[in-house]
Formats: sequence, structure tokens, C-alpha cells
Amino acid sequence: MKKLLSNEYLVLMVRIILGCVFIVASIEKAANPASFVQSIGNYRLVSFDVATVMATVLPWIELLCGLAFLFGLFTRGGAFLSFIMLIVFTAAVTSAVLQGLDISCGCFTQDPTVGKVGWMKVGENVLLTGASVFLLFSTGIRLSLERYFRTRNAAVDTRTGG
Amino acid sequence: MGISITFRQALREGLFIAAVGCALGLMYTGVTGQGMFASRESSADRKSDADEPAPEFVEYNDALEFYRSGKAVFVDARHAFDYELGHISGAINLPLKEYDEKKGVLASFPKDALLVTYCDGQECNSSVEMALKLSAEGFSNVKIFFDGWREWESHHASTEKSSQ
Repeated sequence: MKKLLSNEYLVLMVRIILGCVFIVASIEKAANPASFVQSIGNYRLVSFDVATVMATVLPWIELLCGLAFLFGLFTRGGAFLSFIMLIVFTAAVTSAVLQGLDISCGCFTQDPTVGKVGWMKVGENVLLTGASVFLLFSTGIRLSLERYFRTRNAAVDTRTGG
Repeated sequence: MGISITFRQALREGLFIAAVGCALGLMYTGVTGQGMFASRESSADRKSDADEPAPEFVEYNDALEFYRSGKAVFVDARHAFDYELGHISGAINLPLKEYDEKKGVLASFPKDALLVTYCDGQECNSSVEMALKLSAEGFSNVKIFFDGWREWESHHASTEKSSQ
């Protein structure tokens, strides 16, 4: 397991995939919070006011997590947040499936005819949750800003004799 | 790296990302007047105002009575695809997402016409949002049939299938 967590290429691949997923998922929601409020409301789990607050901030947190993965900066924090969000999303989709609601997920697009909730969607979310946990404990920093800053700081320390 | 150090780092970075995300979200919605900063007209939980009558929620029996009176215009706020599969007989389709492009279908109705909005059922808010839009448009007699299509269909009330 330790080998996998420190495999530079695997970590990079998971970072890119999860980063793209989060960025793509966040853009339409961030640009059009009203539609997202409706998508959240369709799950019948929270009040309209709570849905409005969620629709205001959640897409931006998703976007920042995506950027964190892609650029390799604050990856662990992004993984922690995405893990929490994905647990909540998975629970919401599962509850919708169990209630028999015929609603769209609202995950990637706000088009009501696309991405109906179902066990496939639950499976997707579980996979993404697994990817988040992987990044949370991973140690690979290939092609990341974190690596760039570490190398630069080490160079400065060497020059100043620190 | 130990679990507790990993967790502390994740928590610290996560809080930072969440704080910046919240700030960006509030800034964006504040500047564009959306989300938490949406005007009251577009807010679905708007309470009644002293000057403007707020659209009233009606139950199935009231909706049926309006239907039988022949004076009500039912406004189906669902997607055209759902409308074509089945709708309340005589209802007009005005999908919420295409409101601005298609609101012309209401041009022939007087502002005091009895309009009853509905969508799929309790799990959707389009009926409420549509009613608020119609009120903002100047229609003074708007009702919301919140239980919507599912409730109507379950009573085997008059329905029809058609393309627009």
C-alpha cells in the first residue's frame, strides 16, 4: 500500500482525473447558483435557505479543490474537503434512490434531463471518494507546485547555510 | 508521515480552501446578485408583501375546482419533454429554464387571469419559481399547485399527451 501511495505517476494520474472532475463539476453550478439551489432542493433533504447557502459556496470550494489537485498545492487539504463533500453527495444520492425520486443528480450539469440519480451515480461517487482518500494519504509530489516550493526552499537553505 | 500530522495538515489546508471558497462564492454572488444575494422576486421562499399579493398554494381539490370552472389557465413549468409525455388537459407549457424565450405564450392573457402553476410534484420548486416570475410580470391572480403533476395523475383527473 505504501508503494502505491508513493507511486509518483499513479498519484499524478489520480490528481489530474479528480482535479478535472471537480473543476468541470463546479463551473456551471458556480455560474448559476439558482439552478443549483433547485437541484439541491429536489433531494428534499434540506430547507430552501440551507440549499441557497450551499449553492452559494459549495461550487467554489469544489473549484478550489480541483485546482489544488491539478496544480499540486494544498493537495491534502483538497483531498480532505473532497472526501467530506463526496460522503455527503453519496449519502444524498443514495437517499434519493431509496426514496424513489426521479430527479437529476445536479452533479455536473443543471439540465434536468441529464444524469438521473441511480445506483450507477452512487458507484461513481464511491469511486471518487476512494480517489480522495488515496490523495489524502499519498506522498507523491511529481509535477506539483508543492515540489517546486520544497526544492526552492531547500536551495535557499543551502545558499544561506541553514 | 504520521497519521496525526497528515490529518492536521489536511485540516489546516482544508480550512484554508474552504474559507477562500466561501469568500469567492459570497463575492461572486454578491456582485452578480445571485444565490444568497438574489432579489426577493427570484427567491422561492418569498413571504407575502404588503403591496403585492404573494402567489397562494392550493391543494388538489382547489386545483380541480379551478379546472372545472374552465376559467383557470394551468401553466406547466416542467421541461417540454415531460409535458409531451403527459400534462393537465389544456395546460400550456412554459419551462422555467426557458422562461425568457417562451414567456410570449402568456401575452394573450389578461393580467388578472387565474394562472395555476405546477411542476412534477413536491420534489420540485419550478411551480413556486414560475409563480413568482409570473407575479413579477404583473399577473395578479397566480396560484401554485405544489403537489403538481404526480398528484393530478394519481387522481386520474383529466390529462392529455401531446406535442406543443
